[in-house]
Amino acid sequence: MTDTASTSPPVDAAGESKPGASRLWSWRPSGKSPVVVALLALLLGLAVGAVVIIVTTPAILDAWRSIFHSWGGILHALKVTFDNVGAAYRAIFTGAIVDPQALWHSITTGQGWDNTLTPISETLTYATPLLIASIGVGIAFQTGIFNIGANGQAVLGGIAGGVIGSMLHMPMVFHLPLTMIAGVVGGMVAGAVPGVLKAYTGAHEVITTIMFNYVIYSFLLFVVLSTPFQQPGQQNDVGRMMDSTAQLPPIFGVGSGLRVNYGIFVAAAVVLFAWWFLDRSSMGFDFRVTGANPSAARASGINAKRVIVFVFLISGGLSGLAGMVQVASTTHFIDGTFLIGNAGIGFTAITVALLGRNRPMGIVWSALLFAALGVGGRSMQAATGIPLDLATVIQSVIVLFVATPVLVKEIFRLRDTSASTLELATKGWNS
Amino acid sequence: MSVADVTAVDEVVSNTPTGRTKAIGVIMAVIGVFTIWIFAFGSAASAHSQITFNPINLGTDAPWLVGTLTVASRWTNLVLGFLMVALGVEVFVRRPRRGVMARFGVVAILFFFALLVWIARSPGPAPVPYVNLTALLINASAVTMVLIFGSLSGVMCERSGVVNIAIEGQFIGGAFLGSMIASTTHGFLSFYYAAIVGAVVGGLIGLLLAFLAVRYRSDQIIVGVVLVTMLAGLASYFTSQVFTPFPQFNTGNLAPNVAIPLLDKIPVLGPVLFNETAFFYLAIILVGVVSFALFKTRYGLHVRAVGEHPRAASTVGISVERVRYINVVLGGAIAGIGGVALMATSGQFQPGYTNGYGYIALAAMIFGRWRPSGAVVASIIFGLSVPLAQLLGQYNVPVSIYILNMFPYLITIFVVAGLIGRVRAPAADGIPYKRE
Repeated sequence: MTDTASTSPPVDAAGESKPGASRLWSWRPSGKSPVVVALLALLLGLAVGAVVIIVTTPAILDAWRSIFHSWGGILHALKVTFDNVGAAYRAIFTGAIVDPQALWHSITTGQGWDNTLTPISETLTYATPLLIASIGVGIAFQTGIFNIGANGQAVLGGIAGGVIGSMLHMPMVFHLPLTMIAGVVGGMVAGAVPGVLKAYTGAHEVITTIMFNYVIYSFLLFVVLSTPFQQPGQQNDVGRMMDSTAQLPPIFGVGSGLRVNYGIFVAAAVVLFAWWFLDRSSMGFDFRVTGANPSAARASGINAKRVIVFVFLISGGLSGLAGMVQVASTTHFIDGTFLIGNAGIGFTAITVALLGRNRPMGIVWSALLFAALGVGGRSMQAATGIPLDLATVIQSVIVLFVATPVLVKEIFRLRDTSASTLELATKGWNS
Repeated sequence: MSVADVTAVDEVVSNTPTGRTKAIGVIMAVIGVFTIWIFAFGSAASAHSQITFNPINLGTDAPWLVGTLTVASRWTNLVLGFLMVALGVEVFVRRPRRGVMARFGVVAILFFFALLVWIARSPGPAPVPYVNLTALLINASAVTMVLIFGSLSGVMCERSGVVNIAIEGQFIGGAFLGSMIASTTHGFLSFYYAAIVGAVVGGLIGLLLAFLAVRYRSDQIIVGVVLVTMLAGLASYFTSQVFTPFPQFNTGNLAPNVAIPLLDKIPVLGPVLFNETAFFYLAIILVGVVSFALFKTRYGLHVRAVGEHPRAASTVGISVERVRYINVVLGGAIAGIGGVALMATSGQFQPGYTNGYGYIALAAMIFGRWRPSGAVVASIIFGLSVPLAQLLGQYNVPVSIYILNMFPYLITIFVVAGLIGRVRAPAADGIPYKRE
């Protein structure tokens, strides 16, 4: 509101870091580039994660406690620290991208490619629904709407997909599209409620979407324990298994063991849709104008209520599709813990959208990064016993820094600290 | 615009728009019809309901036992239902300019009693033919207390113009460390230490929020939400790294009740209000302190000026940044104590056991129109709905317990959407301030 002159147009503010006139040894990257800021935020996130690992690993603490016992104590302590933190981060890398040893083995012998490609396949499998949900959240952010309800919408989409996918039976040509539509509709229903409430009563979406998340979690337990949908013969909170005609099949066949599936084409279509919608369609233009300047939008005759409702329908629909893809590509059934807690892709999607600056291609890269952290976190937990929650912490720290680019620029003494683009995605309760 | 003008904003009585008043009237009448239809005609004509008023653990010092209230279920609910319909019609027809909310409150209380009478009807599906009102209120007081802490924290922060979505995170931080301190210290002062540590951790989270929001002018709502995610992740991480291998750090002992002499002997009110943990009294005291500080002191005037019109406040020499830092840190400390209070009344820390209370507290603050007293009323409504949903589950109500568990959240949505609608927050709330 106050700094109008200094704000550069955020779209394509990339201006990749050029050395410019400064000499090589005093090269400082430009802080204008969001990519630079994001990478530095990643670095800071990993640093904070390392601190968390250090204070909770008894071996490291013991080593530091005994630094005064011998001359080599400090060196030993440093070595123990680096070994432990390094092991954790190495496990994240090898678990999420590729294990170099396995890669070398596959290249030299031509064997075991399935095993070598498993980490990257897992990352892509994880990234697929995350990307779809993040696009939904990002479109809402671009309209100035904070959809914290993405997780609930994804859960309802997953429920709808699970019900249609398991309780109707038909050939795949009809079944899979119908299941997807069911997921979209489920998410739209969950999104429509806060959307209509905001448009027609002014209830703020931050409150209503969070509350609706809890409502949907209760509904999830209700559904998976209800007689028609519960897996026959089960007493627990497990829903019916989807028909194979409603599942998203693995690209390399079931036999390969690689879970990467046709869902990535759905995700690619969603990214294309988002690009077309935001950059080419007239409704997308209305959305962006509303997000950038609500009063200008009102003055130019954009129907604010219609925009709000449609944002929630689109955002909710995409989140619902994400939930459906999640079920149809991984477990093929839902249970009472579907997307609850750590698995809540709807919450990760908020951070992904922010990291990707709400733009489709940015979201693609950040979804891949956060999926890698999530998948790698699992293998870190298996390899070193460090809980998976560390990935959540690192992700949150990254987004905290991305939301505060000036701080990152100050920490790394980047040039161009003055031109801080003050882009508020949300505008307090009075909007 | 001077500071004096700014304070006048608070005194403006928000007139409910006609359309909304009519809608509220209709809602009240619908609730009445529902009561008559389900609660009155859903009870057998001969059914009776009993409501008891004595706490379950009578102890030795309950000299005044109150008898049981026995009523004819159908006729009582018929009368209550018609009263609600009458109030609704009155609001719809006369459209009073003031007191709509008070009338709605009366309908809510009547509905609450009608519900109790209905679930306890005998013959009926309930396992016991009575409802213990006092026990229900005691359960409600614990949740209410936590929500009061949270909404006071919200009031503190938002009156100075910073949106504190991180209340949930401050609850988590306070509850986690509070459990650790309360488990490792012993004796009388154990929970005092826990409260202090909770206040410190809440204050530190507030400081981080203020640092990012005031100094770096980040998006406050986003920073708040991400802080909650981060603290939930940290708490879950430390739970598996510390509490699981060392359960002695998370014994989950509850804070002892401190009975206030004489007052705790009052029937119903005594056990609910005057035989509580020290945290409960602290919450009540804080309501008074925050009210007084915000509306009767010079500093409070500064805070409200900063929240409404920072530029004007700055012009007359108030440091906007300083006021915001102080308030966000103090607000964070209050929420941190709230987390300890939650832990001190519900036991062992587990990830996710704050249940979104921090967000409900925000809703309570909005419902209370950014005033401590209003926030208390809202906290009571939400605080009642949580144990009420659990109670209904025990009385074999023909609705799934999972559907019943939605009610606190549905009520929050209904209240925020139906009764409040578009709110008028402090004008500069959530907007970063940049000095010229």
